[in-house]
Amino acid sequence: MQSTASITGLGTKQGIVGIEALKVYCGLAYIQVGAIFEGRGLDPGRLSNLMMEKRSIGFPFEDPVTNAVNAAKPIIDRLDADELDRIEIVITSSESGVDYSKSITSYVHEYLGLSRNCRLIEVKQACYAATAALQMAAGYVASGISPGCKVLVIATDVSLVNENAGYTEPVMGTGAAAILISDQPRVMAIDFGAFGNYSFETLDSARPSPEFDIADVDRSLFAYLDCLSNSFEEYRSKVNDVDFVETFDYLAMHTPFAGLVKAAHRKMMREFAHASPQQVEQDFTRRVKPSLEYPGIVGNLCSGSVYLGLASIIDRAPYTGACRVGLFSYGSGCSSEFFSGIIDRGSAAVQAHFGIAEHLQSRFELTFDEYTELLEENLRCLRPVDNRDINIEQYGGFLERTTKNAEILVLTGVRNFHRQYKWTRLPCFSQPDKTKDPSRTELDRQAFEKDVNQTVQAGW
Amino acid sequence: MILSSKSAGPAKETVARIVRESISSILPNLSMEAISGDKSLKDHGADSVDRVEIILSIMNRLGIAEPMSNFSNIANIDELVDYLCRAQQA
Repeated sequence: MQSTASITGLGTKQGIVGIEALKVYCGLAYIQVGAIFEGRGLDPGRLSNLMMEKRSIGFPFEDPVTNAVNAAKPIIDRLDADELDRIEIVITSSESGVDYSKSITSYVHEYLGLSRNCRLIEVKQACYAATAALQMAAGYVASGISPGCKVLVIATDVSLVNENAGYTEPVMGTGAAAILISDQPRVMAIDFGAFGNYSFETLDSARPSPEFDIADVDRSLFAYLDCLSNSFEEYRSKVNDVDFVETFDYLAMHTPFAGLVKAAHRKMMREFAHASPQQVEQDFTRRVKPSLEYPGIVGNLCSGSVYLGLASIIDRAPYTGACRVGLFSYGSGCSSEFFSGIIDRGSAAVQAHFGIAEHLQSRFELTFDEYTELLEENLRCLRPVDNRDINIEQYGGFLERTTKNAEILVLTGVRNFHRQYKWTRLPCFSQPDKTKDPSRTELDRQAFEKDVNQTVQAGW
Repeated sequence: MILSSKSAGPAKETVARIVRESISSILPNLSMEAISGDKSLKDHGADSVDRVEIILSIMNRLGIAEPMSNFSNIANIDELVDYLCRAQQA
């Protein structure tokens, strides 16, 4: 017999378990989606339905390990020694594994300096895996088996697409999302027990080799849409008094590209609310658009994508009190989940410490020629080799353009299959420190506002 | 081959007309006469979001609710019409 859960009212965010902190790392550089269209000779008429403006681009000194560490480090740095010791499990989710046996987590654990009394694991189920990890972490925390414990979940991936990927190439992102799960859900209290899953075997997209992806676009989009309807239906069957429109103040969905999320929302509004086209548009603007601002300038962050959307809501949505967010996570292959949680202005205050908007704004632009110059080396990121050297100084010309002033972990090479890393303070070279110039900072903020607004309006 | 209803009953003719109208409504630059049964939606210039919208629009007009994944293997518009006729009768 199906169990039935009740989700609480919005009076309190203090549930028993949830997200204590959420941080993303989306690389140092980006390229305009339009530049890839132009460079590859793609049909510009298709740009509007993608609703994407930029995608993050990695460098050859970045990999799934550095992305994960660089996402999680700001969270770790805000914990005191006692809190740090309470991280008892670290889970990375990735479709960009660096070894068939050794986990990404083992490197991440080392470079974050976490306790050795810690459980390490890496999980895989395409872009859904981080949500499976989050739910397993939440279950562990809520079980009471270790009161006060914390679990660090990190979704981390790199892009392996080139011109062979057609219209997927312009929208693939790179980076990681780090999520600290605990009984201090300062960012989002999970509606515990309120979830719906839907999974079945299909080959819609996959990574059969460490050097390329395959995708059947229609099969993947159609599976995504079926999973959304059915996982929500399952959620509704488990939870009392659920209405697709009334129950959730905001929606964050896995975002391969923003245009798919818009189409998916439209389908759900017809199916579960019998809404008119005008109602669909108004609802999209109110409940979905805030989740697309960051994904629209990052690209598909794979299993971190839905959490990038959540971060976007927390930072950018105009809420004043507690609100419920519905989240949909989908991973090819396929598995999916619809679940929910509660955020409030305290969430925004916590997240302000992590400056995700500023991080995205600090990325510098690459031309199409610069992008293709890096591409061949970037596609080698996961190739298993016994020895390899990567000299970050070789990319000094690019790094002169970064406004980011932070220490990041970089990949320096491979020795006997062992990946080598070092901490590097990003050089600002001759550029002025913009953060010390209030007028400059304001100009940058305005430029960023313009960017994100253009992004989400692109397809309308 | 032009999408045709030869050797088909009135039901198939209706489905074929609804398919053509739905495609043309999502792709306004494409006239119904230019829609060819042996070509795919992609061949007619529909991008992935258009393809989703066309299928949903057709199902809405026909009053059927098939899983979207059932449309993954359909190669062209003639096959789409045949599938929809079978779905209607089921």
